[in-house]
Amino acid sequence: MLLNSHTTTHPWKVRPDGLEKVTGQLKYLTDMKTEGCLYGKIKRSGLPHARLIEVDTSKAEALPGVHAVLTSKDIPGLNGFGIADPNQPVFCEDLIRFEGDAVAAIAAESPETAEEAASLIRIKTEPLPVISSPEEALQKNAPRLHKEGNTLHTTSYKRGETEHVLKECSIVVEDSYDTPRQMHVFMETEGGLFVPEKDGSLTVFAPTQHGYKDRMQLARILGWSEAQIRIVSSPIGGSFGGKDELNVQPYGALLAVMTGRAVKIHYSREESVRAGIKRHPMKIHMKTGADKNGRILAHEVSIISDTGAYATLGGPVLNFATEHAIGGYDIPHVEVNGKAVYTNNGISGEFRGFGGNQVIFALEGQMDRIAEKLNVDPWSIRRKNLRQVHDYGPLGQRIVPNDGPRQVWKAIQQSPLWKKPSRERDREEPWIVKGRGAALAMHGSGLGYGIPDPSGGRLQLSESGKIEAAFGFEECGQGLISSMEIMLTEAFKCSTEDTKITIGDTALVPSSGSTTASRATNMVWKALQNMKQPFKEKLYRAASALTGESKENMQTGRGGIWKKGQKEETFVCSYKDLAGGEIVSETEFHFPVTPDAVTGGHYLYGSTAVVVEVEVNRLTGSVRVTGADHAVSAGKVINPIGYLGQIEGGSIMALGFTLSEDAIMKNGSYETPNMDTYLVPTIRDVPDTQRVDAVEELAEGDNYGPRGVGEIGSVALAPAIIQAVHAATGVRISSLPLQAEELVDERELLALMSEETREEQTG
Amino acid sequence: MSQPINAEELTVGKKAAIRLTVNGKSYELEIEPSRRLVDVLRCDLDLTGTKISCGVGRCGACMVLLDGKPFNSCLTMAYQCEGMRIETIEGIENKEITNAFLEEGALQCGYCTPGMVISLQGELEKNSHPTEEELKECLTGNICRCTGYGGIQRVLKRLEEERRKQ
Ligand code: FES
Ligand code: FES
Repeated sequence: MLLNSHTTTHPWKVRPDGLEKVTGQLKYLTDMKTEGCLYGKIKRSGLPHARLIEVDTSKAEALPGVHAVLTSKDIPGLNGFGIADPNQPVFCEDLIRFEGDAVAAIAAESPETAEEAASLIRIKTEPLPVISSPEEALQKNAPRLHKEGNTLHTTSYKRGETEHVLKECSIVVEDSYDTPRQMHVFMETEGGLFVPEKDGSLTVFAPTQHGYKDRMQLARILGWSEAQIRIVSSPIGGSFGGKDELNVQPYGALLAVMTGRAVKIHYSREESVRAGIKRHPMKIHMKTGADKNGRILAHEVSIISDTGAYATLGGPVLNFATEHAIGGYDIPHVEVNGKAVYTNNGISGEFRGFGGNQVIFALEGQMDRIAEKLNVDPWSIRRKNLRQVHDYGPLGQRIVPNDGPRQVWKAIQQSPLWKKPSRERDREEPWIVKGRGAALAMHGSGLGYGIPDPSGGRLQLSESGKIEAAFGFEECGQGLISSMEIMLTEAFKCSTEDTKITIGDTALVPSSGSTTASRATNMVWKALQNMKQPFKEKLYRAASALTGESKENMQTGRGGIWKKGQKEETFVCSYKDLAGGEIVSETEFHFPVTPDAVTGGHYLYGSTAVVVEVEVNRLTGSVRVTGADHAVSAGKVINPIGYLGQIEGGSIMALGFTLSEDAIMKNGSYETPNMDTYLVPTIRDVPDTQRVDAVEELAEGDNYGPRGVGEIGSVALAPAIIQAVHAATGVRISSLPLQAEELVDERELLALMSEETREEQTG
Repeated sequence: MSQPINAEELTVGKKAAIRLTVNGKSYELEIEPSRRLVDVLRCDLDLTGTKISCGVGRCGACMVLLDGKPFNSCLTMAYQCEGMRIETIEGIENKEITNAFLEEGALQCGYCTPGMVISLQGELEKNSHPTEEELKECLTGNICRCTGYGGIQRVLKRLEEERRKQ
């Protein structure tokens, strides 16, 4: 089904949180302040690698208007945070590992005073050699960044005999692929408000993708019990994975607790760039062999990721990359080895696509190289090797029967772009050449085998008689509130006025797991499946007690309970009539996982195929993407406007990844500290429209519900663009973002010009 | 109207009395001349509909109208606006734009949206029948990280069509 307001049969529904956002009425958490609040500021090392000898805060403390200056000595609990491994210090104690490392934090009466105080803090250090790449970090004599050494995580997966089989293959293609350090560039930078309450508890208003996880981590730092902390975590001005890890929270919480005053922090963009996490730059080497018919027999992969100074999710991201380096292809002999390596660079962590984007760029690049070598159509090579519906998953694990890759392989051919010639030269401006390329991907959802991934939710009849759905998920912009409203009204056949959505506040919602890995919509759907019937039963019982009607004849609907089964439906009682009683349903469950003990292996997957048209200017080397169409297989579409928006948005984020975005580091220091040097796409850099075709049919018997599409729009665009560039120019790019110089070719133009002059002379 | 402030008379650290007219309301403020308009709006006047993201004039989140023209309030010092008419998103009531954004799915996190609305409002005030191209031009200084501009382009198409019909 093509998604747009005209063709969709599903509700094209205005988002409930839209009006407040368009009119500027909505308070984001970084917009909040309280009367008399203090302003927090973090003093950062500014050095990529050094021994920290002393932090002298005396001058800062003496500055009028300063209420607290905290260092590592002031932490009551654990001096560390990190979702997977809390090895990032809140404040450095003796070693500085990257330029964004915090050494102190200040609370003062104005942001200006806080800033001044920070400049008065002196740190005594002894510089250490900077490790600015994983290769350097892996050298024998490299300084150790952590006690376990410089390797955070390794993966290795093997089936069959690649070495031997590669020798027998008719063709082998081999290349190294490089991907950039992409920034999330959420428009709302990190920040929040931290309020000590009269009863001794602490309320935290700071965006995150997982309020409960923040609460656990903050309790650990403060040495408190979790119950003393309330986290309010939505709405969020964009995250894309970048706010899943703690950022301002440890500092805000400590300063508020120590001063007994509310503290507000809001990072500048420069601070956000320096301190925040990025997409892992990866170097991927692939060697892939096929027989003369294009059947792939062996695939060897090695991945090195630059994980920066601390762990965060570097391990799980590498697991994901390892799995997705094989993709939705059926390859008999496979070997993948990965290494996530500590350096003195900025920290890499979770980012939309979660390591899939990098390896899919490489894997799809291999497909195109194989096709070229065999001189056959690249799309047919893919078809020949795609998984079948009942095949095992990439790591040989059992997965839910999945025909997504073949569905999208086929569906994308409906795009008008598909019918365009693969290469075309502009008549008027012959130095402009157009090219078309395509790529596909299968992408796992949920956290994968071996990582706890619990979920749950609650339904209750609120005091005002609304069906209230409470979930521990966050609204990061993706439209979750909208999707929840649609699912709720569908489940109860009620109107939106009958519903209430509660999310993003640990005081009000049950734990539902993280708003990540394209899981929230899927998990809400599943929870509603579990709770719908029991909740209805409770409503009917109460309605029957109230009215004497038999509950067998009831159904929920607009405004309340109706009698069913008769020609004319009659109203039994309103939801309001039932309010006040304890009508509640709760559920807890785990994200579906494969029964096979394969670490990181996924069970549910979505698939996507993308076709792209580019225009390359051979004089300047500039590339414009003039069209990008998507086919996505992710089960039923719940919220078409949200689905379309996620694919369009993810796609353009990937366009940036391919053409312009790179947070360049030199000697452990960012050279692109703001949006004037780090270039994200503007409205001028994107195609006028992107068609999104949603393939809704799941394999037979699949009742795992609609998969989320938060990530899948961003995973396959890069290889499609690069293939289109190749079609246009013949140049094979293996390093992103693409550098214009590689595509400049004045010879072509000279040839054309001389042709013209010849014509003029003869004509 | 009070005398315009002469920048040379201002000293850092010394506060000056500034009169600002924001959304039709006038404010007398004692502020340092080094304060940016965006901070005065967001912090002193609690008009947080104006957002801040890059602080260097690149993203457009902080857009306001000064005498009807869109400006980046992060690049504008508050004292420079003495005697000017400032309009922020809170002062804009334009159903035509608002409805288009809502119905075309032109916002997600919404953090860029007020800036986008202001830029469009500024364009429509000076140009009653803009082409889609002109509308696009006026949004080149507004970055949206969420939508990929899909919804926003649908808004532009719609605004152009609606205006053409008028
Ligand atoms: S904050 Fe002013 S342009 Fe970005
Ligand atoms: S909607 Fe989030 S930045 Fe535009």
